[in-house]
Amino acid sequence: MRRVLTLCWKEWRIAMDTPMGYVVATAFLLASGFFFGNNLFLIGQADMRGYFSILPLLLMFFIPAMAMRILADEQRGGTFELLATMPVRTLDIVLGKYLAVLVQVTVLLAFTLAYPASLSLLGNVDGGQVAASYIAALLLAAAYVAICLYASSLTHHAIIAYVIGFGMLLALFLLAQAAPTFSPAVQDWIAVTSPLTHYQYMLRGVIGLDDVALLVAVGGVFLALTWFQLERRRWR
Amino acid sequence: MIHAEQLSRFYGEYKAVSGLSFHVRRGEVMGLLGPNGAGKSTTMKILTCFLPPSSGQASIDGVSLEDAMGVRRRVGYLPENAPSYADLDVRTYLTFTGRMHDIPAATLNDRIGEMGRVCGLGAVMHRRIDELSKGYRQRVGLAASMLHDPPCLILDEPTTGLDPNQIVEIRHLIRRLGEKKTVLLSSHVLPEVEAACDRMMIIDNGRLQVIGTAHELARQAQGGAIVHVRMTGDAEAAAEVVRKSLADVEIVISEEDGVSRLTLSHPDHDARLAEAMFHAAVKSDGVILEMRPEKATLEDVFRRLTGASS
Repeated sequence: MRRVLTLCWKEWRIAMDTPMGYVVATAFLLASGFFFGNNLFLIGQADMRGYFSILPLLLMFFIPAMAMRILADEQRGGTFELLATMPVRTLDIVLGKYLAVLVQVTVLLAFTLAYPASLSLLGNVDGGQVAASYIAALLLAAAYVAICLYASSLTHHAIIAYVIGFGMLLALFLLAQAAPTFSPAVQDWIAVTSPLTHYQYMLRGVIGLDDVALLVAVGGVFLALTWFQLERRRWR
Repeated sequence: MIHAEQLSRFYGEYKAVSGLSFHVRRGEVMGLLGPNGAGKSTTMKILTCFLPPSSGQASIDGVSLEDAMGVRRRVGYLPENAPSYADLDVRTYLTFTGRMHDIPAATLNDRIGEMGRVCGLGAVMHRRIDELSKGYRQRVGLAASMLHDPPCLILDEPTTGLDPNQIVEIRHLIRRLGEKKTVLLSSHVLPEVEAACDRMMIIDNGRLQVIGTAHELARQAQGGAIVHVRMTGDAEAAAEVVRKSLADVEIVISEEDGVSRLTLSHPDHDARLAEAMFHAAVKSDGVILEMRPEKATLEDVFRRLTGASS
């Protein structure tokens, strides 16, 4: 566990020491603020529903950017060889890297807490629903980070990792969007397995156990895939 | 200390290392020589538990490669080109490495200070690694590999890309370390290895060609003894005396400006050719102007043993 946190700490230092982290954070908060303000001022709705329905799109663009270099750069720079020859389990490497990106995403989401805070000055905000939405967003982000971590483990190039990660998230998104055009059996199947449908269920303010279970399972599957991918390049 | 038995590694059909067996004694600096692509790096990757061998086994400090965690704790590894996190400063990088090796927080700062002193990093401790010159990066890598005080160091081409002054510095550093630690280092710079290592081995096409001290290697390559002589006086008579005292000796004589040139050769490396020649010259009233035993250099050995692929 200590090594997991050490890895996490190292990634945090790199993110804080390079412009990359700040650029992505600024861009995310600008885009995020635009969609929130759009709802508030143009449509005149003092609630967060519009913002949370657009959030998966934002995450689809930004999480691949935050995760792309996390494993790809280690392999490109040869530091993976150093990491792999340290007395550390592959699982620790995967968890450390995963946690590092998840913490960064969580910090960004924490910044957006300014929106419900400002809304509460204007009127009554349904606190329960907003809280449920944040939990849903965090769970969705956790699954997305695992997917993009896997994308980053597949290649030596951060840009290719971005494209793969973004492609996988886009596929999930399109599948959920196109669901109504499929036969009912396929529709049911998509409704059960798509992280996005479960995210949308939770936005209503109810955190269902099946919703949580599915998003956690998606994350778990991709963490396991990442583990296989790294283990293949390493010995035990 | 390092014990390898019949190590082999295939990349698909390609045999990178095949049937490699050797032994490195405790406290010894061993050089691993070979042309590019001979299997040096692959051997090191196997010994540091980065790559599994396709067959064969090895142990480090009595710990078999099967116990990868145990081996990793006992080995300090500097991969080729000394990779490190370019975006971190030196101190943060060393702190990270130390924590990953579970060095207690109480002693970590002292260790970093000590390694910084040993590797001459004092001035750059707070600089970002990507601002450092190649030589400094190499030293950062070396400091990181020694941070957890491993009994065994495996260094893959620790001096590539350094200027001559830095090479001498790193060589001294390795020599100093070699007093306490077992070091296996690879290189294709021959004088380098000759100066820094107690023993060396040459591999080619993944196979061990020869192992021993520089002296032993040279002797093996040369085969017999050869002495070149320039003398005045009766060279033929002197040669005859030598032939009588030493069987199997071959002597070639040529004349040049009244000075005779003799080349004596004998299949036995330990034949005392020079002594015999000296006595013969005295007996035949000749004067020896110059006498020079021929020595095979490490270059000769290297070229002969790795000729097939270079």
